[in-house]
Amino acid sequence: MRSIGISLGITVFVFLAAAHARQPEPEVVATIGGDEVYKLLPVGVVPAIDDPEFVSGRDADRQMRAEEPVLGVVIAGEARAYSLWQLDAHEIVNDEIAGRAVAATW
Amino acid sequence: MVYARTLGSTTYTFQVSGRLWRNSLIMVDRETGTSWSQVTGRAIDGKHRGAQLQKLEAIETTWEQWREAHPSTSLLKKSKEVLSSPYQAYFDDPEKMGLFRAQWLAERMPGKTLVYGASIGPHAVAVTDGALGDEMVAATLGDTPVVLARAGDGGVRAFVTRVGGEEIGLRRNRENGDVEDAGGSVWDLGTGRCTSGPRSGARLESVAVTPVYWFAWSGFYPNTQVIDGSPR
Repeated sequence: MRSIGISLGITVFVFLAAAHARQPEPEVVATIGGDEVYKLLPVGVVPAIDDPEFVSGRDADRQMRAEEPVLGVVIAGEARAYSLWQLDAHEIVNDEIAGRAVAATW
Repeated sequence: MVYARTLGSTTYTFQVSGRLWRNSLIMVDRETGTSWSQVTGRAIDGKHRGAQLQKLEAIETTWEQWREAHPSTSLLKKSKEVLSSPYQAYFDDPEKMGLFRAQWLAERMPGKTLVYGASIGPHAVAVTDGALGDEMVAATLGDTPVVLARAGDGGVRAFVTRVGGEEIGLRRNRENGDVEDAGGSVWDLGTGRCTSGPRSGARLESVAVTPVYWFAWSGFYPNTQVIDGSPR
């Protein structure tokens, strides 16, 4: 079994920690379904990737460590991986795989 | 998670809103400013409120395992070297988590427990990483039987264990490690395909799995079934 240390299975909003440092008390700006919406940062401060570029083969291996966690998806036989260390700084990739528009988010 | 970012014939691009709801990211689309939950893919506010993005099967694993299973994979190019997550300290600190209902959630299990969540409509199950291990775990979502399993590429997937209206009851063959149904068919839980036996060629319907901290999953599904390895 893998260790949880490797498995950063985080869909939660990981910039929370960083935001805490800047803004000790996040502001409640709305409620939806009875639950608070907290504003931590302005829109777009964490920059989504809109024009992704890709590498494969050895070029990909050179950018990655063996144990580095990835989000992987296969669409119509086309496989794509996103480093979670990289996604942590962007949260969203607006991408297209095998002609299908997708959003990879972490 | 990976979502199809089209609704009807329109394609949307998403930004990070900087806002949290139920301890998780709100995405906003540039085109309409609608707010979307990252965990469920549902529009929670704005023009498309109530709309649902389709969640696609995606897994979390290591580069090594992914590369071995998919040698021709492409990789999102890094513009600079990234040697660790900028949030490593956050991951490592069991006290650092969301704000929403943090005390209430902690009563069930530690908020930073990693779980694999799956849902069909309002029905949800969370299987802890510890309970799953390298095994498979059966659950029922509403009246739909499912199995969650870690495949050879390290990814956790879920499938509906019903074929043609008939429940197939998967189990692990202890001698050779194969996953078999009661009729002796062998199933690959990396793809959902039946690889040999009477059902050869059949394919199980996939259910998207969300690897997520407990404190986020339970904010969305407070009544979720939990499989944590303790006696049920």
